[in-house]
Amino acid sequence: MPEVPNPSIVKYSLINMETDEEEASRIVPFQLQFDKPVASQIKIAEWNPEKDLLAMVTEDSKILLHRFNWQRLWTISPGRCITSLCWRPDGKAIAVGLQDGSISLHDVENGKLLRSMKSHTTAVVCLNWEDDGGGEIADDNFYISKYEDRTSRFFPPPPRVPRVPGLVPGETGFMDESENLSQELSNSSHQRFNILCSADKDGIISFSIFGIFPIGRTDIHDLSVLCPLANKHVDCKLLNASICKVAFSKDLCHLTVLCSGELQVPGDDLHGFHCLTLDTSIFYRRRNELHQVAQQASNIEDLTEVIRASLFVMSKQWSDAMHTFHDKFDSLSNLIHVNGLDSTPQEEFLSLLGGARTSPAVHQFLENSLGEAGLKRITKLVCGAGKELQVIVLEHLQPAVEIIGFRLGELRGLSKWRSRYQGVGLDETLIDNATEKAGMLLIQVERFMRVLSASVQQFSNFFNWLHKCVKMLMSEPSDQHQLLAFNSELVILFLKYLYDQDPVKRLLEFSEVDQSIEVDVETMERVQELAHFGGFTDFDYLRRTLAKEFQQVESCFKEAFKMPFTTISKKILCQNLLPFFPVDPLPKSASSTVPTSISYYKGGAIEKQERFVDYVSFRLPDEPSSDLANCIVVTKCSMNDLQAVLLCVPDGYQCVDLSLYKECQLVLLLNGPSSVSESSEKACMMIVHADDLPFVSLPSSGASSPWKLEELKDSIVYLQMDSLKVRGIPHNVIAPLAVSASRGVACVFATRKRALVYILDEDEDEILDAE
Amino acid sequence: FLIYYYILSAEAFVALKIAEAKFLSISKSGILPVKLQLLHERALHRGHLKLAQQICDELGVLASSVAGVDMELKTEASLRCARTLLAANQFSQAASVAHSLFCKCYKFNLHVENATVLLLLAEIHKRSGNAVLGIPYALASLSFCQSFNLDLLRASATLTLAELWLLLGSRHAKRALNLIHGAFPIILGQGGLELQSRAYIAEAKCYLSDMSISVSEDPDIVLDSLRQACEGLDAL
Repeated sequence: MPEVPNPSIVKYSLINMETDEEEASRIVPFQLQFDKPVASQIKIAEWNPEKDLLAMVTEDSKILLHRFNWQRLWTISPGRCITSLCWRPDGKAIAVGLQDGSISLHDVENGKLLRSMKSHTTAVVCLNWEDDGGGEIADDNFYISKYEDRTSRFFPPPPRVPRVPGLVPGETGFMDESENLSQELSNSSHQRFNILCSADKDGIISFSIFGIFPIGRTDIHDLSVLCPLANKHVDCKLLNASICKVAFSKDLCHLTVLCSGELQVPGDDLHGFHCLTLDTSIFYRRRNELHQVAQQASNIEDLTEVIRASLFVMSKQWSDAMHTFHDKFDSLSNLIHVNGLDSTPQEEFLSLLGGARTSPAVHQFLENSLGEAGLKRITKLVCGAGKELQVIVLEHLQPAVEIIGFRLGELRGLSKWRSRYQGVGLDETLIDNATEKAGMLLIQVERFMRVLSASVQQFSNFFNWLHKCVKMLMSEPSDQHQLLAFNSELVILFLKYLYDQDPVKRLLEFSEVDQSIEVDVETMERVQELAHFGGFTDFDYLRRTLAKEFQQVESCFKEAFKMPFTTISKKILCQNLLPFFPVDPLPKSASSTVPTSISYYKGGAIEKQERFVDYVSFRLPDEPSSDLANCIVVTKCSMNDLQAVLLCVPDGYQCVDLSLYKECQLVLLLNGPSSVSESSEKACMMIVHADDLPFVSLPSSGASSPWKLEELKDSIVYLQMDSLKVRGIPHNVIAPLAVSASRGVACVFATRKRALVYILDEDEDEILDAE
Repeated sequence: FLIYYYILSAEAFVALKIAEAKFLSISKSGILPVKLQLLHERALHRGHLKLAQQICDELGVLASSVAGVDMELKTEASLRCARTLLAANQFSQAASVAHSLFCKCYKFNLHVENATVLLLLAEIHKRSGNAVLGIPYALASLSFCQSFNLDLLRASATLTLAELWLLLGSRHAKRALNLIHGAFPIILGQGGLELQSRAYIAEAKCYLSDMSISVSEDPDIVLDSLRQACEGLDAL
């Protein structure tokens, strides 16, 4: 029965769930799935948005993935302290934010590391991953046709990073981790447009499309903020701010940032909790263009990785083989020296080839140091290495460069469409340069293949000849059937040009990139002639090595893809800043984690366009001086109209965590009642219908205090337990509370390592009053 | 030969000279058709239609008179003949040449070439002002292109289709604009300068025809398109 409302304090009674007749069988809200012990205390937990999977981070930074029935799917240890966790909207990947500022993406199936990026320099405090919500929204009445990635029609699946033979696959080996890269690569072509937003302790917010293509970055300290104070709009700045939470609106147009820090306004320094709204509408307005650019660019970057790894592997293998070759054949030089001769190994070999008497040094070398077995070994090693390199070029390097060329061609077409793509930073000149460079790289690969084949053939020829020599020396029959044929002229060429030089290495080694290859005049003339056929303007490419060309290509790509990044970053502006409530400045080391939850719900449709209303909810931090202890704030903002309500939990209860749920509901996790009673309930979980609450409109100006929420002190709403959906929990609970709005489930963690999973949409089956 | 797809300028002929010098050992039958095709394009571009017709005849003569032999050359010659007639506004003659070419290609299973022939028929009807007859040809060409992965020809056919829709009235301007925008990436990326300029001009026409767009408020979208069209045509 409603009481006479007291003007200063209003007791608010919500829907009365009980009826008098059914007192015997109380409806217990939320169906409990189970109450199980867990191996360690959990500090972060998030439900998969698409499947019934729960990812948890333990105190010692291990990630566990459990099914709804608590069956464990996998466990991984990234090795560093985990500070945040977020699922990709399609549920197929999870982003992990780490203490050192890097973000790693893992596959949902097996936890394998897909990608690791160093986006920040300090701990990544919060991650938010949203997609464009699907549905073709008619933009300005122009239906934008779906973009098709043509690559799959013209090319086989992209090549992967080559394996280093003999390397034991382990968790730290980068080869193993990147095996799945290409698999995930092709996935970016099927992904809907999504953006991962990451925020770190120092106030830097970073955006990346698909979680892998960086598209923007902003520092909340650099934003120019218009703070409405006393009917004047004043320019303010944030200092020493640290971010608590970020959340995208469902249409990607806005980013809500909750941060604590110092807001400098003229005449005052406001230390406390602030709510920033960033205008990220560029992501919405330009989502098609950004999607296309990100698809191509991210694939190109991944293929560049394949090339780099291929070059690395080839370089290592070849230098290993050459090292062994020179090791073995250096003993000939020693022998020559010992024998008092004044010649080089090449000269000795040449005289042997010419039919002269075999010098004792050579004799000794061939018969003893090398021997037939040694020769066979070195032949197998060098020719084997040559073959391996050829395989790597044919299966990894060349296909990667070809696909890059194609994708760049696609980007080139887009970059010429200036009215659409200049706005997102796709620069025609830069892409043109990149395209030409990619073409040059293809030519360099072709040249490398020829040099490699020639070298290997020469080595093979040389070894065949040596084999015959060895056989002759050992007076064994050297009939032509058993021995492989050789060409004497080629042996001469080998001894003259290849014995102590290594053109293959020169083309591959990154350390030798600055040495240019000599090109004769005739060849240069031909190159100039070829330029008339079109396609390139750079005549110097023959002077560059493959490694150098790749370096130039890489820097070209970096430059081209930095443009969208800088262009978009400039377009992310601060729309609004609201100082919420004052907090005494904490030393930087103390990490205050205030339970917060931000969510966007569909408001009423206005002018046929869905509006989103953003709800921000948080518990006020425990301040001994504050008379607002044990209070929860819920703010609602739609179209610059800010409303808020201050809720107070009943006496004896403390709010441990909260989460916004679907349809404007708020789930609260409370410890209590603190008075020890016979009741076994030490904690409880409840649902409050936020849109039923009496929101108070907060004026945007003309307030007595700059702190927006101070006004609410006069209208605190006290929650009544018996009028809400409350479920008792037999243990003391601690944060986190993991709630999934899309799946309708919640996971509660209790002290002493227990976990309880509830289905929020269903009630417990009626408890019959019996026995 | 790739030089065939090069822009019509002195550069192309320089390249041709170099190629001739290099490949002298290869029989003339390789270079000569290419040279004639380049000359034909230039003649058409400059409006020297009699000369263009002569070059077409020369091209036709190069092919063997045996049926079923040198089909590509015969098709090319026939196609150019029809284009020359079209340039001279002899619509019914051009159409009949194109029709007989279509039948020949169909008979010899030259379906890829038929995609081009169908597009040419669409062009003929477009130029003669008959959009209603032209649209089915353009659509037919589109479906051929899709089957054979002829992306650039498909974009070209889409542009022709858009121009045909524009002919039918301003209420189709939006549809035409969407078609053009869908084809832009390939036209701008892979198409020749003439095709690109044509696309920009068609885009500008769409903006001007569209009732819901007020050009006086936002002249830039039209001006930008025209500007880019001019750049392309200047280069030509």
